[in-house]
Amino acid sequence: MSNEMGTGKAMDWSRGVVLRAGEKSLGLYQPSPETTGYWQGVDRHELLLKECRDCAALHHPRRIVCSECQSTNLAWKRASGEGVVYTFSEVHRTAGAFGVSVPYVVGIVRLAEGVHLFSRIIPTATRKVAIDVPVSVDFRVLEEGYLLPVFVVREN
Amino acid sequence: MHKLANSCAIVGMGRTICKKGDPDKKSPLQLIAEAAAIAMKEAGIKRSQVGALFTARTPRAYMTLQFNQSLLNELKLAPMFSSEITAHGAGALGAIELAVSLLDSGLIDYALCATGEASPLWIEMVEGSANWEADLQFEAPYGPTTPSIYALFAQRYMHEYGIPPEQMAKVAVENRLWALDHPHAAMRKKGPITVDDVLSSKMIASPLRLLDCAPWFPGGIASAAVITRADVARSTCEKPTYIAGFGQSSLHEWIGERMGLTGIEPAMHAPNLLRTGASVAAKQAYQMAGVSPKDVDIAETSAPFTFANLLMLEEFGFCGVGEGGSFVASGGVDYNGGLPFNTTGGYLSFGQSGQGLYLLKEVVDQIHGRAEGRPVPNVKLGLVHGHGGPLACHSVMLVSGEPVQ
Ligand SMILES: [Zn+2]
Repeated sequence: MSNEMGTGKAMDWSRGVVLRAGEKSLGLYQPSPETTGYWQGVDRHELLLKECRDCAALHHPRRIVCSECQSTNLAWKRASGEGVVYTFSEVHRTAGAFGVSVPYVVGIVRLAEGVHLFSRIIPTATRKVAIDVPVSVDFRVLEEGYLLPVFVVREN
Repeated sequence: MHKLANSCAIVGMGRTICKKGDPDKKSPLQLIAEAAAIAMKEAGIKRSQVGALFTARTPRAYMTLQFNQSLLNELKLAPMFSSEITAHGAGALGAIELAVSLLDSGLIDYALCATGEASPLWIEMVEGSANWEADLQFEAPYGPTTPSIYALFAQRYMHEYGIPPEQMAKVAVENRLWALDHPHAAMRKKGPITVDDVLSSKMIASPLRLLDCAPWFPGGIASAAVITRADVARSTCEKPTYIAGFGQSSLHEWIGERMGLTGIEPAMHAPNLLRTGASVAAKQAYQMAGVSPKDVDIAETSAPFTFANLLMLEEFGFCGVGEGGSFVASGGVDYNGGLPFNTTGGYLSFGQSGQGLYLLKEVVDQIHGRAEGRPVPNVKLGLVHGHGGPLACHSVMLVSGEPVQ
């Protein structure tokens, strides 16, 4: 489903999965105007970051204001999708929909561009997740039914 | 020494507890109002004397807007200042820190700071759910749990400094011994544990095993403190507890985005997870009081996982950066002969009750020789730490029985 920002229609990147209020606050869980472009990119299997048009600093996709120069002139920039594992944890006990996948690995990836992203990290048959291991972006539908960027361990 | 050092003192504290299974189940408002009433009685003050009412984060089991106003109504106060001070679990001590600044200015004569949690009595605590501290858009859809978020710090900590799991486990063993002496500790009746027990307990989120993780305190705890200027305290209170120094530092709880922070302490030169606001807050506190870590006789931290205790010992300056593991391994916080550390049993064995001032009360009680658990002799200066978010917001306070020199 595509984003329809600007048309007045709400975007639904949840693919029909009901967004829950309460435990997961509805307002934050859905894309907000500053992040819809990121999720449009995910739809196209592209990983996007925010780039400051004034000082060229690259930022997390949430950024509204450049922390380097306070510019609000930020635009989307496609990332290489390559990075290394900064840290990780193999989750053995979990709640909700994620139970079917234990153990699975969450972690923080340091992208080649220097920006860090929280993500799912997926080992291969021959290479486990470890700190500093190289990873590449992929796009998968995870347990709650959302298409998300994840990172797969590189063999070489 | 900063002018705020010794400027104010705690002249009354109250603490109430309701455990799971107690016949009269109490709401957070009941527990907090009762703790506040005890603190006011101990301080010998009237409602009309309360110039500031500060509550910390709204109890999760009492989600109302402006919880401070609920308490104000219950106690029938009409203070100059009424507010919630929210910096996750650091807000409780932070409330007292702001009160000191107000008291010292002379705008008010007494401040009442009260906080509490009773979630396990009222809420189905979803196992592992991290939805209170993960970014619901960029983190939660990947399935993080609260232990796994802390585990990301632990994994990096072990990697950067070569900390073996045995050194992490040791702090759980020592904390447990203190808990065995404390009448309210969650693990009081569970007996001592060994390093092997920790290392063979089931994996929760690597590298953290079950006994690396704090249990929830099985019930609710509320605590309250009345603070006034030192000159008032000296003339009205037999045993005031002086606020020697304090500091506070807050980062954001979403750790993916925290890695976008640099150019400011504690991430001056590069983004990282291993230097936290605790080091910033501790340094401020020591500087204010004009003391150093070696002057501290007792320390209480709000670290809810084994490794975090090691890291906090570094952040408080009890050992060098990366030396938390070797410090603990060599007896630095041993129940017998080490720095008295987490003397209620700590989060790991007393249990975690969200935010609170009950660790402050433990230090105050130890200073005045009325500890509920094992007494620590000759406590002149104590350090208490409150933190919340995954190692995001930190307050450190130094308190003493006599003004620090
Ligand atoms: Zn910029």
